[in-house]
This record gives sequence, structure tokens and C-alpha cells, in this order.
Amino acid sequence: MTVVHYVNQFFAGLGAEEAAGHEPVRFDGPKGPGNGLAGAGLTVDVTLACGDDHFGEHEATALATLLGWLDELAPDVLVVGPSFGSGRYGYACGVLAREAGRRGIPVVGAMTPDNPGVLAAEGAAFIVPTGSSVAGMRTVLPVVAALAARLAVGEELGSAEDEGYLPRGLRRNVRAERQGASRAIDLALARLAGRTATEVEPTGDAVEPPPAVPDLEHAVLALVTEAGCVPQGNPDHLPTRHANVWLRYPIDGVASLGADAYESVHAGFDTTDANADPNRLVPLDAARALQAAGRFGSLHEEFFTTSGVDTPVATAAKFGQEMAEEFREAGVQAVILTGT
Amino acid sequence: MSSTHADLAIATFAIGEIVEGTQTGRDGATLIVSPPQLAVGAGEPALAEATVEVVRPGDRVRIQNVCDVVVPDVRADDPTDTFPGALGTLTPAASGTLHRLEGVAVLSTCDWERAGYVGPEELPDSLVDMDGPGAALSPWSATANVVVRGVPAEGAPVADVDRALRRTTLRVARTLAEMTLGATPDGEHRFPSLGVDGSDLPTVVAVLQVASEGPLTDTFLHGWALGDLVPTLLDPREVLGGALVNAAYDWPSVRNVTATYQTNALVRELFGADGERLRFAGLILAPGYLDTAFEKQRAAMLTAGIARSLGADAAVCTTFSSGNSHTDTMLTVRALERAGIAAVPIVAETNGGLTDHVPEAVSIVSAGNEDELVAGWEPERAIGGDVPVRSGEPVPTWAYLSATVQTGDGWLQGVPA
Amino acid sequence: MGITTVCITALPTIAQMVGANRILRGVSITHPTGDPSLAVGDELAMRTEMLDRALEMLATDVEPRTVWEVDA
Repeated sequence: MTVVHYVNQFFAGLGAEEAAGHEPVRFDGPKGPGNGLAGAGLTVDVTLACGDDHFGEHEATALATLLGWLDELAPDVLVVGPSFGSGRYGYACGVLAREAGRRGIPVVGAMTPDNPGVLAAEGAAFIVPTGSSVAGMRTVLPVVAALAARLAVGEELGSAEDEGYLPRGLRRNVRAERQGASRAIDLALARLAGRTATEVEPTGDAVEPPPAVPDLEHAVLALVTEAGCVPQGNPDHLPTRHANVWLRYPIDGVASLGADAYESVHAGFDTTDANADPNRLVPLDAARALQAAGRFGSLHEEFFTTSGVDTPVATAAKFGQEMAEEFREAGVQAVILTGT
Repeated sequence: MSSTHADLAIATFAIGEIVEGTQTGRDGATLIVSPPQLAVGAGEPALAEATVEVVRPGDRVRIQNVCDVVVPDVRADDPTDTFPGALGTLTPAASGTLHRLEGVAVLSTCDWERAGYVGPEELPDSLVDMDGPGAALSPWSATANVVVRGVPAEGAPVADVDRALRRTTLRVARTLAEMTLGATPDGEHRFPSLGVDGSDLPTVVAVLQVASEGPLTDTFLHGWALGDLVPTLLDPREVLGGALVNAAYDWPSVRNVTATYQTNALVRELFGADGERLRFAGLILAPGYLDTAFEKQRAAMLTAGIARSLGADAAVCTTFSSGNSHTDTMLTVRALERAGIAAVPIVAETNGGLTDHVPEAVSIVSAGNEDELVAGWEPERAIGGDVPVRSGEPVPTWAYLSATVQTGDGWLQGVPA
Repeated sequence: MGITTVCITALPTIAQMVGANRILRGVSITHPTGDPSLAVGDELAMRTEMLDRALEMLATDVEPRTVWEVDA
């Protein structure tokens, strides 16, 4: 039986934030929490590690390397994390899980239920829910070890409820007894008879609405966009689709986004009108007018931007969490986000 | 009711096998096809080359680069009226007698990428496997198929090539069906014009979503692209009678091929239940993929208005392909519900869930999960390409033609794993 | 706790699906906060009015997934 464990730079002992840019690397035997897995009866044969920032910024190449190793090792089970509340780490765990799943490798992870890694995994991993603090490590490792050991020998796990992992939301296809038209007519007539039934439920996210901004006149407001608005020439090479990064540009002292200074590189819509006046994507000129009129306190010194095309929801969720962290530290109290 | 509006009669002829011969014809349940006699592509300068080949269920063949599927039809009253507008004279398709072959389909294939009309991966792989694990995913794995392969003429405009391939394919379909003229059908279905009655039966309308976004992503009504479609009432028998022709070649599992319109399950089921379980009040042809929020809202509003004017109590709403057309479907559901009409949409699922949703959509039919992987298969050969694509690799359901079609013709349904 | 955000988009149903709570309907997919059919001065006035409405939404408590129009 071959067990592979994926961890980030910190848990691999490569360093903390300063090592977040570390390229993928592999070690024989367990590292960090891998030792805890061994203590719980699961021997780790190989540890794969990657810096959280490196994965986020070079996802394609990092993934290619990691998957190459997985293909070579052909593990019976892959353990990812635990990543608790860490969005970047969790995201990397989730993406790796998704790809391992496509190769038929069973995966076990552990993170908070709202970690973008859960979405990123697309149901490929059995994810044990945790709190956001690493303090939960000692409690969760035995649970992870037990699930992984059973998967490694080909055992089929029970339901999410029974086994203690997050519902995977997977849907498989069956051949129905009747065509969709016939089922649709039945559902329609049932509705009219007072019975409501559905074959599929929405799986959208539900977020508690933050409260109204209490003192808008003195509040710091930030502008964010997924319309791919960047300085002319796209100096930092924001991808036009499947963006794996978001960027920031200074707007202190800038009254308006001029057509000669800014453009949109978003591949998902016709950017002609937007390039003629980038304020049509990021309403800076209007914001300055309202600032001058005292409607709000001040505008944050940068606007944040990315291209929202072919962006997996999990990636967007990760961006949102990262931006929110920055805004919280900078004292931003309100955000206008423009979408195409 | 009204004698000035004749029924649409579809006379069906069951075909059990296709053989190749020197003369195209029919002998009972055997269809004889002569590729040289069919002379596909003759008179179509936009095609450099056109070939025709027969494949049968169970052949170890992967048909790829499939564009459209057409059921062999001919208007018995006047064959030159067949596929009005797209091939034949512009006449109503809603009445008269249609002779239709069952068990046979005409497929068109074209490698647009190789001919330089689209970039790599712009048109997703479009497959019909005649055997192997993927055969169960596409209805066209179970029909004896006459496959037309078109090669574009160098430098020909894409719309011209597309039209040439379409006319060639429709012509083959008509020719095959012509082999039944004068013969006694195996079955016949009559579709009368929808009337108004005073019964207490619940009134149901069909909302059929189509879209036209330019060559290779078009839908034709009587041969006219539907780019500027505003929701409109359309005799549902026009749909069965060959007035709607597909020319959209993106996402295969959710593609509405022409055959899906010709054999439309929703229309047939509603006609079948008319007067018994419900009153079928009509079909609304509605546009998907509208560009702006305003247009999307407006189309939804107009559809709901037409449905209400028909006295609808409920509506079944189909979806065209994937992406923001799902927003059009959901906005239409919302508008219908707000007009007091119970709306049931049909949508395909993805591994990421539903593409769009509105709280008013409480009753949804699943067309299946288009992301589910199907086990790999190694066919012996490919048609429509030199070598089989994805040979031996797992294939996502979205690659199999019509697998998760959202018109109500599909058989797949998503269930919790 | 999240940061109070208004999302301006021409596709509010998609924003609702991913959990946005304050959504202001934008003009179009290609120019959410613009309208090329207006004269320059009028367009800026429209944009300012739109942003003012967004500010109003920021300062208002809402139910989940609320969509506002610029013209109430």
C-alpha cells in the first residue's frame, strides 16, 4: 500500500510565509502532520509539498509537476492538508484532489466548510470539516488517517452523515425510465395539483449579508473589478482568461481612468466600448465626483482587478477572501465590485 | 375542428438494417444505399469533397466532428417542399403528410478546425460511439447511420460551406425517405391543429429555446437564421415537420440537432396528453444567449405575456446549450411564475452544480450531469477524422452528441452519487 | 465578518447564485457602469447616479441576495 501526503511549505518544514513561493518538492516518508498520521496508523510513504503562493501563481506548472509524481507513485490514497482555514493552502489541496480524483486516486482532506478548497475539489475528496485554527490538528488527524486507511484498501465509505465528512455534492447519471419531456409534464401537472417536486436543487453559496456601512460619510471605499481592467499594455500580464492571479493598481491622485492609460484584457466580452472609456468598467470618475460631494470618506489608494473568464468558483472565492483580508487590514469598510 | 387547417400526418417506415447496393432503395425493413448514386456534394462548390459512408450499431467506430443529425423525411404531397426554406420551397411544415424513416439517421461531419475556420479547441469534440461504453450516451449509437463527410473548399466563406454541407445532408435525408413514396407505412401519427376548448383541463404551453449567434452557432427557421428572434408563437407541428434546422456545433451533449426538433418529445407528449390530462395551448419559440440584461429580461417578459394570453396554467421551458442561455431559461421561469404560471425548466447539470438558478425555479428537470466521465474505449477507426480522438481515455459526457440535451428528449437524469 | 460590498453587474441572477447580497443591476455585460449611447456629459451623470445608488445600498441593511435597479 502506497500513501502520499500533500502539505504546504510550512508543514513541510521549509519555512513560513517567506517560503510560500517554494516550488513543488518531494520527500521520502512523512513530514510535519504526516508524522501524526503515522501515529494514528497510516504510514506516509512520500510527502509532496509546494508553497501556497507558488501554487496559486503557477498553478498549471505546479500541478503538472505534482501530478507527474502522483502518476509515478500511483498511490492507493492521497491525503491533502489538513488546511483548516487557510484559503490558499486549502485551494491547492482542493485542486490537487480534483485532479487526483480524475486519475482514480481516492483523496482525504480536512478544512473549514467554506474553504475555497472544498469547491475546488469538486467532490473528488472526502473532506473532514474542521475549525479554522490549527489547534484542531490533534483531533482531526486520527479521523483523516482512519478514512484514508479504509480507502487505500478499496473500501467504499458510507454516507457523509455516517462517516463525518462534508457532503460531496456529486451527481451521477442514470438512465431514466422516461424522457425528460414526460417527467417535465408530470412535474408541471403536479405543481398545479399542489405538489412541488424537483429533480435537482441549486447548490449556490449562501453568505450572511454584512450590515449596512454605519458611517458612509467617513468610510473608506474600495473599487474592485473582474472586468480585466489594467494599465495600457497589461504590464503585469494579467491573463485574459482562467486568471490565477488578481492585481492591484494605484489610483491616488487619479481622477479618472483614461482611455490612453487603461484598457481591458478580459477575453469574455467585446472590450471596444470599455477601452474607449475604462470608467465604464471601474467607475473612478463618478467615485471621485461623489467623494468630492462628501458622500463617502475616501477612496482606497488602489483598485483590485482580475479577469473573470473561465474562472472556477473556487478560485474566485479564494481571490475574494484574499482581497477581504487586505481590505480589513487597510481599514476599507465598503467595496464596489463591477462584473461583466 | 377547422377544415381549412389540415392535420400533420407523419407516416413512419421502420428500417431494421442498411445495406449498400448499386441503387438506393427500400425493400421492406431494409434500406439500400448507393453512395455513388447519392452523389453527395454535387452542385455545391463550397465543398471541395463530400463522401458518404454507412455505419451500424455495434461497429467499432467513433464518429467525430459530428455537426448535425437529420431524420430521413420527405413530404409525400410534394417532395420539393421537404425541409421548407432550408432545402425545399417555403411552405408551412405544419400540415400535410410526411414520410419518415425510423431506425436511420443522417449525420454530417466536418473538421472545421483542420480547414482553418476555427482555432484549436474552439469547437469541443463531438462524438458518437457506435459501440463501447459511450454508445449508451448518444441516441445515434442505436440508429443505422448514413454519415456525410464534408471538406470545405479552400477559401470558401464559412457560411457558404455550412450551407452547402447542410443542404447536402438534408438532401440525403430526403432522398432516403423518398424510397417510401407510394408505400404503405408501418405506423402513422396525426397531429391536428391546436384548438380552443372549454374543458377544465390544465392548460400547458411549451417554451422552446433556440439561439443563433452566427455561422457554426446558428439555428434556422425555414432556412432563416434566428439571430434577432423575439419570442413568438409557432405552430408546434412546424417543429415536427422540419421547419427548424440546427447549425450550431458547439457543446455536443446539449446540442439540439435537427433530429431532436423533428422527433421532439415535448411536442409529441403534449399532443399525446392533449384532451386527456391537459390542454396543449401552444408552443413559444424563445431566444437564448441574449447579450444584455435588458434583452434577457424583455424576452422573458414577452414569453410570459404570450403564455398568459394563451391561458397557460403551466409551462415547460427547454434550454439551448450551456452558459448564459441558462440565465435566459431561469429569467423566463421567473417571469412565468410571477405571471402565475407554474414553470418547469429542463437543464443539464455540471460538477459545479447548476449554471444559474432563480428562487422561483422550484421544479427542475435534470438532463444529466455533463461532466461525468465515461470509461475509455479504443475504437478500431474513426469517421470524420483520421484517427480516433481520446482513444482509450475517459470521455466526459459533454462530448457525446445529444447525451444531456435539454429539450426533454434526453434519457439521462442526475441523481445523488 | 464580511466586508459590505455592492456588486454591479448585468447578470444579477448569477451574482445571486454565488451568494452576493447587495447587487445593483448594471447597464450591460460589456459596460456595466457605462452607456456609449449617451453623450459624454450625460454618461458621467448616469454613472454618478448609479454609483450614488450603490452607496445607498451599502448604507442599507438588506435581505440575502437583494437586487436593486438604479431607478427605484
